[in-house]
Amino acid sequence: MAKKTYDLLFKLLLIGDSGVGKTCILFRFSDDAFTSTFISTIGIDFKIKTVELQGKKIKLQIWDTAGQERFHTITTSYYRGAMGIMLVYDITNEKSFENIVKWLRNIDEHANEDVEKMILGNKCDMTDKRVVNKERGEAIAREHGIRFMETSAKSNTNIEEAFCELAQAILDKTSGRESAENQERVIIDRRNNDKAPGYNKCCA
Amino acid sequence: MSIFKARVKEFEDVLAPPQDEIDLKQLRRLAFNGVPDVQSFRALSWKILLGYLGPKRSSWASTLAQKRALYKQFIEELVLPPGHSNNGDSGSGDQADLRGVGLQDHPLSEGPESAWNTFFNDNEFLLQIDKDVRRLCPDISFFQQPTEYPCNIVVHSKGEHGRRLHERVVPAVLSSANVERKGLGMTKINLITKRSVENYAAMEEGQEAHWEVVQRILFIYAKLNPGQGYVQGMNEIVGPIYYVMASDPDLSYREHAEADCFFCFTALMSEIRDFFIKTLDDAEGGIKCMMARLSNMLKDKDPNIYEHLKTQELHPQYYSFRWLTLLLSQEFPLPDVLRIWDSVFSDEHRFDFLIKICCSMMLIQREAILENDFASNVKLLQNYPPIDINVVITHAVSLA
Repeated sequence: MAKKTYDLLFKLLLIGDSGVGKTCILFRFSDDAFTSTFISTIGIDFKIKTVELQGKKIKLQIWDTAGQERFHTITTSYYRGAMGIMLVYDITNEKSFENIVKWLRNIDEHANEDVEKMILGNKCDMTDKRVVNKERGEAIAREHGIRFMETSAKSNTNIEEAFCELAQAILDKTSGRESAENQERVIIDRRNNDKAPGYNKCCA
Repeated sequence: MSIFKARVKEFEDVLAPPQDEIDLKQLRRLAFNGVPDVQSFRALSWKILLGYLGPKRSSWASTLAQKRALYKQFIEELVLPPGHSNNGDSGSGDQADLRGVGLQDHPLSEGPESAWNTFFNDNEFLLQIDKDVRRLCPDISFFQQPTEYPCNIVVHSKGEHGRRLHERVVPAVLSSANVERKGLGMTKINLITKRSVENYAAMEEGQEAHWEVVQRILFIYAKLNPGQGYVQGMNEIVGPIYYVMASDPDLSYREHAEADCFFCFTALMSEIRDFFIKTLDDAEGGIKCMMARLSNMLKDKDPNIYEHLKTQELHPQYYSFRWLTLLLSQEFPLPDVLRIWDSVFSDEHRFDFLIKICCSMMLIQREAILENDFASNVKLLQNYPPIDINVVITHAVSLA
C-alpha cells in the first residue's frame, strides 16, 4: 500500500433518478468545473477528494451510481459499505422528487442502519423551470430526520458545503462516540418521525 | 501504403466476388484485422457480419427494400400520434383502424385499449431515452448535426404536435432560452449556455439532428421489445452503428441509415440483450457470467494481478460491468471503438474475443496495477489511459 496521506477515509454514495445531475455534482466537487455534456453513468463511477475538517485530513471516496432501475442489483451492493449517502433530485423534475421516498426505502433495505443521509435538490439555478419548491424538499427531509440542501452544480451553489456537512456528520459520529450510542441514534433516524427531528443538528 | 492497398483490394474482392455468394469465413478473417476506412467497407461488412444481409448478394436488394418498408411502417404505427393525418400509402387507412382510433378514443381516455393512453404511457421511457441521446458521444459534434436524410413524415408536422418524439417529453422552451441568452450577454454565461443541452437542440421544421434519429430508433426498439424496454447504455450500442451507417460514402445506403441501423442494432441486441436484463444477471449469458469469465481468464493469465485486486477488494463489477455491457464503447474514442467492433463482430464465438480484449487491457497495465492503491486502480480501470488500440488488439490476439 502507498503511504497514508490522510487521517480518515469516508465512503460516500450518490444516488437518485437518472439525469438529476449526480455526475455533475461530483464533477463540480472533485474538479471544480461544470459541463452538462456528460455521458450517462453505466453501473458505478468513482472519484476521490480530500477535505480538511477540524484539522483532520479526510479522504472522501465518492461513488457515483447509475440512476436507472436496471442497475440497482449492481449499485445496491455498494450501499453496505457507504458511510454517507447523498440522495439527489432535480427541482425541475417532479418525478425525481417523488422518487426520493423510493430511494429512501432502498437505503433502508441495503445500507448500514447508521448511514448518514442527506437530500439534495439540484439544479436550483434553473428558477424559471422549477416545479418543486424548497419547502417541499425541507418537509420531506424533516419528516425523515435527514439533512437537506438545495444545490446547483452549474452555478456552484452549496456543492462544497453539502459534502463537507455530510463529512462532518460522519466525523462527529466516528470520533468519540462509539457503537453503544449508535443504537440510540438509529432510533432517531428511523421512522419515529413525529418526535423532535434530528434535522437541526447541523455541524458548524 | 502498398499493404493498405492490398487490404483494400482484399475487401473489394471479398465483398464483390465474381460469384453471387460471399465467402463469410474469408470476410470474418479480413474484418477481424480491421476494416479499412474507405468506401462502404465497414457499413457493408457490419451488415453482413451482424446477419442483416445474407451472404447471397442477389438477395440484398429485396431484403433491403422489404426491411426498409417495414421500418417505415413502424414509424407510422408507433411514432406518429394516434389518428395522425398521414394517409399517403395505400393500406395505412387499415392501420389506423387497427390502432383503435375512433370516436370512442380521445387523448383523455384512460381505457387500456386506448391508443392515446398508450401514447402517454410511452412517455415515461421516452423521457429516459431523451436524456440519454442528448448526451451521446459529447466529444464529437456528429450527433448534434442535421442529417441529410430526415424522416419526412416526422419532420413535416403539418401543424401537428408530437411527431418528433422529444416534443412529447420536453416542453418547447427554445425561444425563451434564446431570449435568456441575449439578455445575459456575458461571455461566460454564453459559454455555459452554449455547452448545455442546446447543443443537442431540436432542428427546425423540415430538418432533424442525428440524435433525433437515434432517439426514434431506440423508441421503436423499446416499443417492439416491451419485455425489455429501454435500458440506459443501449444508446451507447446504437451510437457507433448509426455513425457508421450514416456516414456511409455510398449515398444510396446512407439515405437509409436509420432503417438499416435499426435492424443491425436489433440483430446485435439479440446477442447481448441479456446484459441489459436485470433478472438475467446471474443466468448463463447474463452480465455476471460474462464478468466471471473475464475474471477467470485474468486469474489464469496473471494470478498476481488477480490476487492484488482481490486483496484490494476491487471487484470486477467496478470496471468490467461497463466494459462488457457496452462492448467497450465508453472506454475508447469512437474510431477505436469501431476498430474493436470490427473484430468483435467477426468473432464467431461471440464475445470470446471481447473478453480477451478486456483481459489484455488489464495485462498491459500490469505494472501500474500492482503498484497502485485501491483508488488509483479504480481510476485507472474506469478511465483507461490513451493507448494505440492496435497494441491492445494485438495483445488480445496473442492470448491463447
